[in-house]
Amino acid sequence: MPLEILGPMVLLGIVGIGVLLHLMGLSAPHHFACPDDARAAWDNAFPQHPARRATLCADNTAALIDTDAGPGLVWPMGADVAARLLAGAQIEAHGETLSIRLPDFTAPRIRLPLPQEDRATWRDILETPA
Amino acid sequence: MSEQITYPDVVALAVPMFIAAILIELAWIGIKHRGGRYETRDALTSLVMGAGNVASGIVLGFITWGVFMALWAITPLDLGTSLWVVLLCFVLDDLRYYWVHRFGHRIRWVWASHVNHHSSQHYNLTTALRQTWTGTFTFMMVVRAPLILLGFHPAMVLFVGGLNLIYQFWIHTEAIGRMPRWFEAVMNTPSHHRVHHGRNARYLDANYAGVFIIWDKLFGTYVPELDEEKPQYGIVHNLGTFNPLRVAFHEWIALFRDVLRPGLSLRQRLAYAFAPPGWSHDGSREMTPEIKARHLATHPEDRGTPGFD
Repeated sequence: MPLEILGPMVLLGIVGIGVLLHLMGLSAPHHFACPDDARAAWDNAFPQHPARRATLCADNTAALIDTDAGPGLVWPMGADVAARLLAGAQIEAHGETLSIRLPDFTAPRIRLPLPQEDRATWRDILETPA
Repeated sequence: MSEQITYPDVVALAVPMFIAAILIELAWIGIKHRGGRYETRDALTSLVMGAGNVASGIVLGFITWGVFMALWAITPLDLGTSLWVVLLCFVLDDLRYYWVHRFGHRIRWVWASHVNHHSSQHYNLTTALRQTWTGTFTFMMVVRAPLILLGFHPAMVLFVGGLNLIYQFWIHTEAIGRMPRWFEAVMNTPSHHRVHHGRNARYLDANYAGVFIIWDKLFGTYVPELDEEKPQYGIVHNLGTFNPLRVAFHEWIALFRDVLRPGLSLRQRLAYAFAPPGWSHDGSREMTPEIKARHLATHPEDRGTPGFD
């Protein structure tokens, strides 16, 4: 198939499917129903460091996890979640957003919408030694 | 010797069918409210990875073609282009695929390329298109060398490889439960391949087949899908990014960071590149046997069941 046909077809296909999925409401981020839901998600990712406690953020999309290896985070990856220990994390507040930079090429920066009152709680937990 | 042989670029020709099938699967899921899940950014990442795979083939394909034509020039054998030869080539190439795929999960150098195909937490027809951009650098094209030296023309070998890839497209779905028993016994199916994409301890490093599941049964890597244990898709530590560049190169970067760590012996550096994924010089990471053992420590009732034999 000539590139002049293949290229536009691929481009249109990708854009069209993306727009369709978004219009179908399939862009919504994952939400945790409760702290236990977040703990289960963490334990699924890090069974060797089970969650001792989970602190949900205000909109229930992410949770700070207390483990024997230090604090961890579960956050939405689209309709699913990703999880990382926060060793070496750099934390910055920007307005209503907490930005967490990780020394991890597969999860370099996580932005969490956190109200002022949540940010203080999260910072306290993050700065408490394991 | 047949030098001027051409076959259609079947993968490019199949692109409209790929798009149509994705739309049909999406409609099916939307209407039936079962049979899989889609998410916008995940699907877009998969589709961009697929487009990048085609692009990398266009840019780097000359390397593979050059190697194949060099082999073709030295072999005294030429099996011709009859239908039976094409069919034989297809079957033998599927055996080649089984081993390349098995290497892709058991040798970190090859896994660095293949991992992106497993990096989605979804399992739908877009996942099939989440293909590597770096396959050329694994040098796994050498596994096709015996086919060419046996007298299968390089164009035919690439043609049947394309057919193999197209076959594997439709098995990346949850919309199909199980096929008829005879078909499940011989062919790779959605059920068998869901197992392959599972990150559950039970399903790790199983079902490497491309078209014929018989290779897994023959070489002891077959694990059936159990109704009581639905596969969880993705990798052991799922990615925290949808950025296609990070998806494509993350394991290569991790590999080279490990290989270049200070204070390692040459043997340890080589092991970081070529041992199974999860190997580490200090035992701080887990490979498949350790993950399975940890699972059995907490679920001893699973010992002796499929995947824990």
